[in-house]
Amino acid sequence: MAEAIGRSLVASADAEAGRPVGDLEISRAWLVDPASGREGPGDLVVEDGIVRNLVWLDGADAAGVDPTGVIVAPGFIDLHAHFREPGFEDAETVASGSAAAAHGGFTTVCLMPNTSPAIDEASVLARVRSAAERSGSPIEVLAYGAVSVGRGGETLAALGELADGGAIGFSDDGAPIRSAAILRSALVYAGMLRRPIVDHPEDPILTDGAEANEGLVATVLGLKGWPVAAEASAVARDLAILADALADEPRARLHLTHLSTAAALDLVRHAKAARLPVTCDVTPHHLALTDEWIAGARRWAWEALDGDGGALSPWADGVLTAAPYDPSLRVNPPLRSAPDAAAVLAALVDGTADAIATDHAPHTKVDKESEFGLAANGISGIETALGLVLAAVDAGRLPLGRAIAALTSGPASVLGASGWSGSRGLVEGATADLVVFDRSASWRVESTSLSSRGKNSPLLGRELAGRVLLTVAGGRIAYEAAD
Amino acid sequence: MTGRQIMTADEIRRATIRISHEIVEKQAGTAGLALVGIQRRGVPLARRIAEAIAEHEGVTLPVGALDITFYRDDLSLVAQQPLVKGTDLPFDLNGATVVLVDDVLYTGRTIRAAMDALVDFGRPQAIRLAVLIDRGHRELPIRADHVGKNVPTSREEIVRVHLAETDGEDGVDIERLVGAVAEPVAG
Amino acid sequence: MSLAVPDGTGIDLPPVVASSAPGNSAPVRWGHRHLLDLDVVSWPEIELVMQTTDAMREVLARPIAKVPVLRGTGVTILFYEASTRTRVSFEVAAKNLSADVVNIAAATSSVTKGESLVDTIRTVEALGADMIVIRHGTSGAPYLAAEHFGGSILNGGDGWHAHPSQALLDLYTIRGNLPGGPDLHGRKVVILGDVLHSRVARSNIWSLTAAGADLWLCGPSTLLRGFERWAASLAEVPGHGRFTVTADLNAALRDADVVMALRLQRERMSGGLLPSLREYAARFGLTLDRLALARPDVLVMHPGPMNEGVEIAPEVAVDPRSVITDQVTNGVAVRMALLYLLAGAAGKAPEASGG
Repeated sequence: MAEAIGRSLVASADAEAGRPVGDLEISRAWLVDPASGREGPGDLVVEDGIVRNLVWLDGADAAGVDPTGVIVAPGFIDLHAHFREPGFEDAETVASGSAAAAHGGFTTVCLMPNTSPAIDEASVLARVRSAAERSGSPIEVLAYGAVSVGRGGETLAALGELADGGAIGFSDDGAPIRSAAILRSALVYAGMLRRPIVDHPEDPILTDGAEANEGLVATVLGLKGWPVAAEASAVARDLAILADALADEPRARLHLTHLSTAAALDLVRHAKAARLPVTCDVTPHHLALTDEWIAGARRWAWEALDGDGGALSPWADGVLTAAPYDPSLRVNPPLRSAPDAAAVLAALVDGTADAIATDHAPHTKVDKESEFGLAANGISGIETALGLVLAAVDAGRLPLGRAIAALTSGPASVLGASGWSGSRGLVEGATADLVVFDRSASWRVESTSLSSRGKNSPLLGRELAGRVLLTVAGGRIAYEAAD
Repeated sequence: MTGRQIMTADEIRRATIRISHEIVEKQAGTAGLALVGIQRRGVPLARRIAEAIAEHEGVTLPVGALDITFYRDDLSLVAQQPLVKGTDLPFDLNGATVVLVDDVLYTGRTIRAAMDALVDFGRPQAIRLAVLIDRGHRELPIRADHVGKNVPTSREEIVRVHLAETDGEDGVDIERLVGAVAEPVAG
Repeated sequence: MSLAVPDGTGIDLPPVVASSAPGNSAPVRWGHRHLLDLDVVSWPEIELVMQTTDAMREVLARPIAKVPVLRGTGVTILFYEASTRTRVSFEVAAKNLSADVVNIAAATSSVTKGESLVDTIRTVEALGADMIVIRHGTSGAPYLAAEHFGGSILNGGDGWHAHPSQALLDLYTIRGNLPGGPDLHGRKVVILGDVLHSRVARSNIWSLTAAGADLWLCGPSTLLRGFERWAASLAEVPGHGRFTVTADLNAALRDADVVMALRLQRERMSGGLLPSLREYAARFGLTLDRLALARPDVLVMHPGPMNEGVEIAPEVAVDPRSVITDQVTNGVAVRMALLYLLAGAAGKAPEASGG
């Protein structure tokens, strides 16, 4: 168990969030630094917002410090979140989303362009950036530009202008890039600009009217199935087009977001082995939850696997404890079967999945409190991401080091290829950018304890382990637990 | 029988015979009479009365069975006693003098429900009431025309009529319940 | 015993330990505030519904087919989907029990202005509804209604998911017409047609496997998607059992005791699951020739409305072995029984004990 963290503030405090961290002393905590590959007991001293001293302890000094208590890691990076501004401020704003990110331990967030208007022009991107500045939050807010005008899929958006305006990549997310021809051109053009194309892989014809993962739960509950092939075929298409695009532009890069199926992850695994420049991310809800939850089960994905790696039946096991059809579980891609969730974890373990990205998707009550098939898709997940990931770590399904890497160094390297100048490590001399959380402390997910305006989380009422105590972004305090 | 016995089989028999005579006497004959037993134990009682009348008058009166489940004024009883035993009225009620027969008369609500049910089947000329036991505590202005035995009771006591046709033996007992107000026995 | 969700919505959860012992049933109570689907209803409770339906049929046979048991109870019929027969069946059932009935056809109400389901339920409750019979095009809608309604919800059909009153009237009709008595153990019951989109099929799966029937689902492979997996899972669920899923029509019909043809859901079909209605009729339509494969005293059923000439030949629909009109008649009696049992389970404040 780590000892208490001692801290004193030297610099003057302006507002609450965003005040300089000043001096911070953390003794005998478990430090995790995937960038250097090191993990273990250590002391950390911050002065004036810079990491002055980082000491790895050993021998007698290290006795009693283990990864079950307070952990210090680099600030998390979220490659995929929706802050809904401009256009849907009832659901979230850049300010409220930044507060939520900080509560979740994230210090850098990449926003998707499906706002209203879409971020298909530099002027809209500028609006988002100024909203970030006005919020006063020290969280680094980055944004993707749209691939196509209005995300309509027909003509390329002003990619160069957007890149000049700070876009870190291009995507049409919440929708796939429908046209193969547009995808090909975008990969080439964006490659020239040294930005990745981020695709939400989905065949919209196969998913027309689909409500839940095609499987036992959808059959019994009478929900229209969302086949695995809708994701796998889109991934296969994207990879094939990427291979051709490389001939036109060797700097072309593809990032596939929120992969949820074993089939899709296998395709990426093979593509990487063949050295295609593809990266991908997975969400916390796809590694921890399954479509069983829609039937009313509340066990973790790894608890729903049978001895052969197949899916157990929640009806046969008698594990239904909640009412079925909870619309907070409706998400795109849908919650999948237990074997698919296991594949997501395996991809994190073997590095096929480069990052965990939350796909934080806040919605208003009006859009979510409705019949399952009519509810908006999305889970408000940036604050519960760490808790879900730690549940997998606690269950022995994911090593802690890999988990933290997928939240820090993994996304950092995906961003780094786009010219992002940040870094993510516990490094002496660097500006402090870190998160401190206590694995032995838990917190209860309630609408009052969530900072996001989006309360659409299936975890409401649940205790999650891994309470964030402090989030420091760019040398300033982004979040501090009340006690 | 677990309580204190207040009527023996012989006493039931004699009361039944007396009631059967009273019914005929009140009607000054058997013309127009019909007996309708209220489910559950009113039905065998009605049959016994009809048999007695057949013996001393030589006339077989029509006998029917009436289930008042759907006429009760208390829906919470549905959860406890939802089973319905059936109504069978194989004769024309219109213009008949119907004698309702039940085992125990208590608050009067069962009889009120029975009268509601009867008038849905037709328009009797008159309705009379014969009961084996009248235990008092009426909540409605209902009285029996023919009573086997008047038994003063308190609300904490329960009166149970046993008949061979339904319970294997004849007898009536009364028992004090601990800490509860007597509920109507099923049927 | 089924588990109730602890937050007071009255939504029960599977599993139910049900015994399918033939014959005798001890007196049992109806334990559910809502009837959303049959997955949480035990076999003794199903038998209670059957017995109560017998009593309701007797009421329907009276000159005045009315009893006052639901007098003062507000029953609102809220149908988001067009349906004449089921909506009228519920209305007649409620009125026969002397309930105060409000009938809302959603197309004409403020629902079309975009009033949400939750808002509509709250409005209906404020206007005095004690029970709501709801039919909705989206699976799961009645569960949302139950979470926001203080009274009882009776599911009149939701999306592809469930139609419990239909499955119960199907069961009642089978039991009342089956040669050799009402015990379904080992009797071969075939559900034929568009199983994928059928809430009638899904609810019947729960009730017929609880009854111990040898249940077969048959149709073109595109319309059986996912059911083999369910059949395997249901074999392990207490109180139920495996059922057979096949596209082989001859194997399905051979020696069948009951054949239930499903309406081909033209309005729900999308994505080209079948080449044409003509091809379906040619390969899977229930004709007299095909019916000859079944037992000579087979019962023919259909939940209606029928596409004569598609899933069922007109001669079969009027064949003496068809009990389709019985289904309609029994529908009112079964719905009366359900309204009665649900009203009792919701329980009004007790007045003084009768006697």
